[in-house]
Amino acid sequence: MRLRSDRHHPTDGVLRRLVDEPAGVADADRAHVATCPACLAGLEAVRADARVAGAALGASPRVAAPAGVDVDTAWARLASAGPAGRAAAPARRGRWVAGLRRPAVAALGVVLVLSGAGVAAANDWLPIFRTERVAPVAVTETDLVALPDLSAFGDLEVTGEPEPSAVPDAATAEERSGLVLPEVGELPTGVTGDPTYQVVDQVSAVFTFSAAKAAQAAAATGEALPTPPPGLDGSSVRLQAGPAAAAVWVQPSGVPVLAVGRAVAPTASSDGVPFETVRDYLLSLPGLPADVAAQLRAFTEEPTTLPLPVPADLVTTAETEVAGQPATVLASRDGTMAGVVWVEDGVVTGVAGAVSTDEVLAVARGLR
Amino acid sequence: MAVSGSGAAGGVRPDLEQVFRVHYARVVAVAARVLGSRDQAEDVAQEVFLSFGRSSVSAAEAGGWLSVAAAHTALNLLRSGRRRASREVAAADGAQAVPDVADAVVVREEHQRVRTALSRLPRKQAVALLLRHSGLSYADVAAALGMSPGSVGTTVRRAESALREELNRHASPE
Repeated sequence: MRLRSDRHHPTDGVLRRLVDEPAGVADADRAHVATCPACLAGLEAVRADARVAGAALGASPRVAAPAGVDVDTAWARLASAGPAGRAAAPARRGRWVAGLRRPAVAALGVVLVLSGAGVAAANDWLPIFRTERVAPVAVTETDLVALPDLSAFGDLEVTGEPEPSAVPDAATAEERSGLVLPEVGELPTGVTGDPTYQVVDQVSAVFTFSAAKAAQAAAATGEALPTPPPGLDGSSVRLQAGPAAAAVWVQPSGVPVLAVGRAVAPTASSDGVPFETVRDYLLSLPGLPADVAAQLRAFTEEPTTLPLPVPADLVTTAETEVAGQPATVLASRDGTMAGVVWVEDGVVTGVAGAVSTDEVLAVARGLR
Repeated sequence: MAVSGSGAAGGVRPDLEQVFRVHYARVVAVAARVLGSRDQAEDVAQEVFLSFGRSSVSAAEAGGWLSVAAAHTALNLLRSGRRRASREVAAADGAQAVPDVADAVVVREEHQRVRTALSRLPRKQAVALLLRHSGLSYADVAAALGMSPGSVGTTVRRAESALREELNRHASPE
């Protein structure tokens, strides 16, 4: 050992590594350097040069810590410079889907199938969406955000994870959700490859009405609170949605382009006064936006009518038929996105994507 | 599952965003070490990720590939833009009448020297130097450049020695 280390002076390269990654240097070399005056002198010179280089390469005040880098903005830039075609106009789609993602949607139990894909999509699109947030687009989002303002009339407690989780394949998605995912016949032009699968577990929201809170909220709008029906104060309504599973086709640039999914239709139940009583009373409250009121009104009217809180200035709706069931078609006014939703046996099925209305209906009617 | 043949958007990889988010800061840092400018470094990073998006480099190798690509792209930019950049610096000097202008000039001059020195290094040495000083381990640098880990130390050592000589040479008044 001693003989060997005396005989071999390690190379400059080994000395260099000794400066900043000594664990990568062999024990014998380290032992040698520690007792060899020539190597110690060499090590000092190597260390000095390394220090100079480090200072020179990191000296600029403009080369700040990478923590200062705005990855979201940078990604939005890259995504907008990405491939043409369906990757175009991501901001508009992002806005719509981001709207669907609002807590209000989950809280009112109208999440449905679109949200499984929609939430996933919003995650991807959020950076793009953020770049748009200063634009005057907030009107509809204000309405959507106003939805959880039910918390102004009581306590709202959401349980369950409204975020989707990715699962490896269709079988896992079906097993976790207990739903059968339909198979897509022919994909629209420009949608290619295999989908990714997402599952959203059951989400429920318990809204407990509080007369005191509601009175405060009413006073804030300058109006008196209508007298609550007997027994309403402190009674709870439980809104439930999911589980849901979705197959999501993602654009090569990472932007979701088509989603097909199923969800257990939302339900409502109450522990005190009937849900309809709570609903009607909420509808009579001052400050409830008209469109939200309409959606709330629709909640239990027809099992086939879903109260979709769509941003009306961006999305149009129409009625059609899929698989013998009445279905609702949603289309963004700019033509970049369309979706269709229908209900059968308490299960909501939806198809949505950055496709035309015709394409989305073709996919929906071709499901197996 | 039927797959439509038309409209595939140029074969850009689906894991691009994930890779981007993991490695973006590092890529910017590598380029910024060369260019001394965050803005230019971010431009380089965009170019590098666009290339990566069209590549079939595995996700496991992405970090090394991106760092090497950032170093090369930045060094290329340095070479092609050196003359133009020095003219811009001269123009900026005249325009910026701020109190710390003397400090700014010193920093800029030093940076100009570092850039000049970097651009004169053999390319492989320059890249190895940049990767190591950007925090890649010896094993990572070796994998990224297709070298043995043992030779990384030698290459980095040569680069640092040459860099010091270049800096000394350019620091002395001509």
